[in-house]
Amino acid sequence: MSEKHSIVEIWVYLSGSPLFALFITLAAYQIGLWVYKSTKQNPLANPVAIAIILVATVIQSIDMPYSSYFEGAQFIHFLLGSATVSLAIPIYRGLSSLKGRSIPLIFSLIAGGLVSIFSAVNIASLLGAGSSITGAMYPKSVTAPIAMGIAERIGVSPTLTAIFAVATGILGAILAPFVLNALGMKEWWQRGFAIGIGAHGIGTSRAFSIHPEAGTYASLAMGMNGVISAVAIPIIYHLFN
Amino acid sequence: MISGLVQILLFQSLGEVISKFVLPTLPGPVIGLVLLVLWLVLRKEVNEHLATVADGFSQYFGLLFVPAAVGVVLFLPQLKANALAIICALVGSVVLTIGSSAIVVRFLSSKVSDE
Repeated sequence: MSEKHSIVEIWVYLSGSPLFALFITLAAYQIGLWVYKSTKQNPLANPVAIAIILVATVIQSIDMPYSSYFEGAQFIHFLLGSATVSLAIPIYRGLSSLKGRSIPLIFSLIAGGLVSIFSAVNIASLLGAGSSITGAMYPKSVTAPIAMGIAERIGVSPTLTAIFAVATGILGAILAPFVLNALGMKEWWQRGFAIGIGAHGIGTSRAFSIHPEAGTYASLAMGMNGVISAVAIPIIYHLFN
Repeated sequence: MISGLVQILLFQSLGEVISKFVLPTLPGPVIGLVLLVLWLVLRKEVNEHLATVADGFSQYFGLLFVPAAVGVVLFLPQLKANALAIICALVGSVVLTIGSSAIVVRFLSSKVSDE
């Protein structure tokens, strides 16, 4: 057996097993984390965005179809459901520190959720985007695992939704401080809550790194937004489509 | 660690079963989440195994989105053709969402504290 032949055989074997997809996904995320840390946690160097770009570049350059990549990476993807359930813990912790703030929080959540949907869908369709794109924008301010579940239920692409949700989280983490400072928001819990509504998981981890109270309220906002949106978005979507 | 995972998977499975047979409009994990919150409210505490697993998940939440989001390769032509609309919609919507949520929460909480 020639050496070249055996390398091809090893390659065929490896790329057919889940190992390769799992390896490049974890390695890309590890590189992303490393870049994020070495840029002193600059929000522009988001580890998720870096990992997505790296993995997409690798599978495109070796002509690996997305379906064979996903066959391996689905073991990571599966954990999204469990991670969603585990959001119960930050929600519970947030609930116990509510202290009579529930009315402002609920109305803020409803206002933010509606503004998020209608601004995104209307700006996109004004600028000429089709219904497959605008449809995927409905759940974009919801944390990605719940957003993808909503996307499946309203019949739009869960992948596009996940991309928009991740992009929203990154943009929110970058832009939130400017918006909140421009509005003169001083209370940490109010700032955190607004970030959690607008920028879900990625914004929440950013909020935790700035101030613990902001982080707690951001994760409460993210969780409540997820649960309420899972009920409300399919109804709103069918009203307008 | 294992005990925490067992609890999470138990609530996830409960959620999936309820979603399949009783409440098909809600995704199973969301139902599992709500049930677990209710359970924690009843128990009035988070046991340490559950806290360990939940903190682990929240620390690496981002990693779990990667497989689905790599599907971006399937949509590259569509995304490029609509790049301007998508970027404007996402940026505009994030600014408006965070701004409006912040204004509402501040307005209503100042009213509450005035009374």
